[in-house]
Amino acid sequence: MPRYVYGVVRGDGSAPAVEGIAGAPLELIAAGDVAALTSVAPGEHLEAGREDLLTHSRVLEAALEQGTVLPMRFGVVVPDEGALRERLLDQHRDQLTAELDQMEGKVEITIKGLYEEDAILREIVAGDPLIARLRAQTASKPEAAGYYGRLELGERVAAAFTALAERDSAAVVEALSPHATAVAVGAQVHERMAVNASFLVERARLAEFDRAVEEVGRRQAGRIRLRYTGPLPPHSFVELGVAA
Amino acid sequence: MATAVQQQPYGGGGGYVARSSSSGLYDVLELILDKGLVIDVFVRVSLIGIEILTIDARIVIASVDTYLRFAEAVNRLDLMGTETQGLPELMEGITEGGASSKTKGVLQGAKEALFGDDDEDEDDKEDEDEGSGTTRRRSSSSTTTKTKRRRRSEASGSGSGSSRGRSSRS
Repeated sequence: MPRYVYGVVRGDGSAPAVEGIAGAPLELIAAGDVAALTSVAPGEHLEAGREDLLTHSRVLEAALEQGTVLPMRFGVVVPDEGALRERLLDQHRDQLTAELDQMEGKVEITIKGLYEEDAILREIVAGDPLIARLRAQTASKPEAAGYYGRLELGERVAAAFTALAERDSAAVVEALSPHATAVAVGAQVHERMAVNASFLVERARLAEFDRAVEEVGRRQAGRIRLRYTGPLPPHSFVELGVAA
Repeated sequence: MATAVQQQPYGGGGGYVARSSSSGLYDVLELILDKGLVIDVFVRVSLIGIEILTIDARIVIASVDTYLRFAEAVNRLDLMGTETQGLPELMEGITEGGASSKTKGVLQGAKEALFGDDDEDEDDKEDEDEGSGTTRRRSSSSTTTKTKRRRRSEASGSGSGSSRGRSSRS
């Protein structure tokens, strides 16, 4: 029976009381110190939609409330319990146990920041004489005549956003890293994104971390709007050696 | 957006940071699709209705369209007295309607291209709700299809791509 795998927990744990994908009940399949959190999958090939992504996420958060969990990436389906034991639990037991120990008492917090666009555009124009000049030149020109000027202007503004984001991202990470165990910096997904970073934070230091985030938010008020997500299972901080 | 500087608390905790403890899909989409453990054999899931583009963090291919819209956004700024005004005064100068709603629309298209389904953009919904109340414009015309970004997708679950950096774990 194909099984959808949500993550790995301690062998003596219990399945959270939430539904799995397609309404299937969650089941723990244990192998000594480690266990896989699973549910029977509708088939070996799953066509997943938005609801399933949400379910995956919610199952993991419920598991986090109960203890340490190493999240799987979305979409891992094993053909049967035997394969699950063989390919995951038995093969990687030592690594998984070590990883569970490492993640014990820690959570992931993601910090995303979006630029307040008008404020940053003003910053950019004020800070770059060439952009200011191009702006003046192109503002008055009719559509066709100013085309290439506007293109150049827009390209420079886009580049300025990116450069600014590099600086701002580094500054935010520097401000928050002292309060975290580890940090993983994500890609700037679009122009308006000032920062996109995940932090691994000890629960015992969460209040301290939160205060630091508030402080960054306060300093950046009007420029960057921060968004804080968590506590989450440590998606960005788990790894596994490539299975043979 | 005109109230950005005098930011009111988002609810609990006193402040300047939007919290989501019960995560909307947008908040965790990147994490659950890209991070986490993966075993090599058994990913047999196809995603329906959700367009996932890959983005190369080092090479951002922005379309001509994006540049033109940036130029438009910059040209629509009211910069009278920029040197002498402080930020709060500048904020008051931003018109609620036209200019800010258009400049917001400009870059939303990029996110839509990345995330496809706009239900997942809870972040944008919050942004819009906080500001002038303009509804988010779906740039169905050009930006969604023409703005292309490519990110190297992670080959394994170990997150070894150079677009992400890690500091040492203790």
